[in-house]
Amino acid sequence: MNALTGNSLKISRVNIVSKKFQRHSPSGNSVTLKSPNTSTNFQPIRATVTGGADSGETHSTVLSTESARDQLRPDMAASPDVTDGRIAGISAAIRVIPDFPKPGILFQDITTLLLDPKAFKDTIDLFVERYKDKDISVVAGIEARGFIFGPPIALAIGAKFVPIRKPNKLPGEVISEEYSLEYGTDKMEMHVGAVQAGERALVIDDLIATGGTLCAAISLLERVGVQVVECACVIELADLKGRDRLGDRPLFVLVSSI
Amino acid sequence: VYGRLKLKAISEAIRVVPHFPKPGIMFQDITTLLLDHKAFKYTVDIFVDRYRHMNISAVAGVEARGFMFGPPIALAIGAKFVPLRKPGKLPGGVISEEYVLEYGTDCLEMHVEAVQPGERVLVIDDLVATGGTLSAAISLLERVGAEVVECACVIGLPEVKGHCKLNGKPLYVLVEPRQ
Repeated sequence: MNALTGNSLKISRVNIVSKKFQRHSPSGNSVTLKSPNTSTNFQPIRATVTGGADSGETHSTVLSTESARDQLRPDMAASPDVTDGRIAGISAAIRVIPDFPKPGILFQDITTLLLDPKAFKDTIDLFVERYKDKDISVVAGIEARGFIFGPPIALAIGAKFVPIRKPNKLPGEVISEEYSLEYGTDKMEMHVGAVQAGERALVIDDLIATGGTLCAAISLLERVGVQVVECACVIELADLKGRDRLGDRPLFVLVSSI
Repeated sequence: VYGRLKLKAISEAIRVVPHFPKPGIMFQDITTLLLDHKAFKYTVDIFVDRYRHMNISAVAGVEARGFMFGPPIALAIGAKFVPLRKPGKLPGGVISEEYVLEYGTDCLEMHVEAVQPGERVLVIDDLVATGGTLSAAISLLERVGAEVVECACVIGLPEVKGHCKLNGKPLYVLVEPRQ
């Protein structure tokens, strides 16, 4: 059976399905089912901090010295502990919806995670534990699902929350960054004055696919002199190579689908 | 005691943007409140203190600014968070409720199984004006048999409680709009 030949794959509404068989789709937050898989196979975590965390060097590109806060230590850098029971609960709470937004695409739906108070809390706690002592003063969340995860993290670590929005939503003066879609371009905006040069920021979204929106958000922040310490997502669609698109910007995810 | 000082801090952290989205409208911009960690925390804490002992099992937040206030409240009171979204955003089975705008209509959607019959729900948004959006939110929840305990907004007009179309549901508001 193959989705491409029109035979539909019956996917029961369980939480993690067929992560192995997904191919590149440039449209973001979507993967295309290539062929069925009878076993589930996902990696709870596959996050690495690129750029030499193991060597203890700072991987930030800006001016900061190699202080403790800049280093994501090897024990923290790689990923949350794969044996952390919280990760399994988080992963299990994410629902995969076939054929959304169009046929052949498996959509990673985090709304079921939000319906599970323990799993949602664990998600936030995992991020807060990682960032609370990193002198992060800004959490930037990407519209709209980044607005769900960003504020609880910001409140817990004492940072401000900055919404990165679709065009024409923010009322005040904005700076914009255009980015590519499968067809055409889109734009994201941030309020002028929301952040100051030299601030240390975390960028958050529910999921990284191609990395296009995250890159645009990073650009917005870097253009005003902010240091993006890390990008954080609940889910990574590893096949779409968003991590590569981020280059040397660190990425931390909780659940990675192959 | 929340104190007038906390409410004052919240109010003063909100920026007024004149003539947005169109002339004559004094837009109440909560993004500056989100930049003020202390004031943002006061906001969430006031709601949490009010709702933590009311046996609320779900907090429904209206897209998109309700997404910024709802989750911290839900997490603190141990409730689930239910996003109420613009059409076409939620995957899977949804129910829709249309509501009236100044010109034309809009639509709010919710996942059909997000909330069970009999659950006690809080609806949250940043601001209430006519109450049209909140009214649509209440309808969605009542259609699946949930009980809307209250609607909560950071900002609301003082007279809105009387004139607001909220299907008889109570409305709780922290501050009035600034000029």
